[in-house]
Amino acid sequence: MTAKTRRRPPVLAVLSTAFIVLWLVLAAFPFLWTLWGSFKVQGDFFSRQDWVNALTGVHTIAETGGPFTGRGYYGAWVTKEFWRAAINTGIVTVSVVLISLTFGTLGGYALSRSPHRYAFWILIAALIFRAMPHITLVSGYLLPFFQLNVWGYLTTAIVVLVAINQPFTLWMLHSFFKSIPKDLDESAMVDGCSRFQAFRMVIIPVMWPGVVTTGLFSFLLAYNDFAVTATLLTQDNQTMVPKIASFLGTTQVQGNVMYAVSAVVSATVPLFLLVLFFQRQIVSGLTAGAVKG
Amino acid sequence: MAEIQLKNVSKRWGNFVAVDAFDLAIADEEFLVLLGPSGCGKTTTMRMIAGLEEITDGEIFIGERLVNRLEPKDRDIAMVFQSYGLYPTMSVYENIRFPLKVRRVAKDEHHERVMRAAKMVELTDFLERRPAELSGGQRQRVALARAIVRQPTVFLMDEPLSNLDAKLRVSTRSQIKNLHHELRTTTIYVTHDQIEAMTLADRVVVMNKGVVQQVGTPLEIYDRPANTFVAGFIGSPAMNLIDGTIGDGVFTGQNVTIKGLPATVSGPVTLGFRAEDAAARPDGGGEIAAPIFSLELLGEASMVTVQAGGALVAVKVPKDFAAEIGSAFSAAVPAGICHLFDAESGKRIAV
Repeated sequence: MTAKTRRRPPVLAVLSTAFIVLWLVLAAFPFLWTLWGSFKVQGDFFSRQDWVNALTGVHTIAETGGPFTGRGYYGAWVTKEFWRAAINTGIVTVSVVLISLTFGTLGGYALSRSPHRYAFWILIAALIFRAMPHITLVSGYLLPFFQLNVWGYLTTAIVVLVAINQPFTLWMLHSFFKSIPKDLDESAMVDGCSRFQAFRMVIIPVMWPGVVTTGLFSFLLAYNDFAVTATLLTQDNQTMVPKIASFLGTTQVQGNVMYAVSAVVSATVPLFLLVLFFQRQIVSGLTAGAVKG
Repeated sequence: MAEIQLKNVSKRWGNFVAVDAFDLAIADEEFLVLLGPSGCGKTTTMRMIAGLEEITDGEIFIGERLVNRLEPKDRDIAMVFQSYGLYPTMSVYENIRFPLKVRRVAKDEHHERVMRAAKMVELTDFLERRPAELSGGQRQRVALARAIVRQPTVFLMDEPLSNLDAKLRVSTRSQIKNLHHELRTTTIYVTHDQIEAMTLADRVVVMNKGVVQQVGTPLEIYDRPANTFVAGFIGSPAMNLIDGTIGDGVFTGQNVTIKGLPATVSGPVTLGFRAEDAAARPDGGGEIAAPIFSLELLGEASMVTVQAGGALVAVKVPKDFAAEIGSAFSAAVPAGICHLFDAESGKRIAV
């Protein structure tokens, strides 16, 4: 009896399920469509005659003999050397995440425990820099970068991206550290830790979800950045996003737009894996209730 | 094991004086309680001994060593915090073991010492749990075990019982008393609860507004309070303090006349006596005569309050004492139970 009374009315159950399914389809559709289309030829995916061609793959069968083709992927990864861009993106994102987190955790911790008033003003300054459009950092430094002969290198892009990202990591980690009671540092210090040991052995383990969440946001910023990487890197050193843009920029040649499509799919997959892998830490980091002893 | 010396220790933030010229020698193996209302500087004093707060002025010695400039970790102390300060990511076992680990005590000793400490506070069944899975009393015992595992020179306890419920407070209190008896480690204990101070202390330091009011054994402080602040803070209920004037050995105030006091004192004074020292005089003719303001049954006795000398005065009466509020009441307050304080400075007048 009780189980029956607790059950929701069938109409409501159907409606809410239908709504969720509809929402899922709407949300996932662009990605699924791109994924599907990346295995077709341009004549199908960008068909002028009939959009159904993208589903049936008439031209794909005519040109390659099968309903699916890896031509787009081959062209992007092998012919156009997209793997170089992938490696560059890897170097840039990993460096940006590591450097931002190192400075962010140390600085955020120091600011959260500082009794001085200037800590507040440092944070306000950080907020102002955070609010500035990214491109201002790039355009202002473009000339000096040329003169110093550091334009075009990955290192330069990393430095600029860290500079853009640091205020945000500082703020985020600062508020995470604030939520950890001071007693924890103090009991660690009485128990025999130096300030740094207390930070490393007691505070960071408690902070871990916050560090992962902040790290993920830094990763996304570096991974998805276009403004900095497109203006600061040479053709050879390009990362994935400007490389994809350059595929689109030469649409006169047939097939290149398909390179862009398959490159986009390739660039999205790691993001999915990353979020799936860290989802538990991200959720507890975002809710931040996990830090209370 | 060591004695601790505080020489004119002060703490100031700008113009605010948190602790003013604290001067005290704490003997080896002593259980010293710092007692006072919140904001009186007792916790600040302890934190200066621990090294968590910088010392503005003065010197602190632990044993022979001047510790003013030493880091907390180099002072050989252990501290129990009000909020426990347990490490949430570690199990109870790892929490207790942590001081041994960071101080690089030989690894083969760890297990034995952790188990001994856990046994002393009866935690052996909970060693695998996380702090979040423990009750408040258990968490406090973990904090105690973590403090005793290393056998430090000094224990510092910052209101360790104030987050526990009343019943648990009593049992943990006796556990702390017993631990101190067994370990014989110099202990400094901060509390605002005068019952804790009375039950635990070898000596009590009563503080108010950063200034030490009185240092003495619990009995001394109870029997001979140095001023009206201590008199009004210690005891449950606190000492009755009534204003009046004295002359020729007779104290007079609103509804009060007490004879037989020393004739050497004259002028306005504050007179104090304890509720349990006074008694009801059903036949009348007592030193205090006033209508009953309230009557409260405490269980083992009743408390009658009357208005006298510009204050509410409590008198303990037998629990079967029956009277209406507003009816006449008379209490015997013989001169022998009275304490005299200077009306202006509040200081005790020696009699």
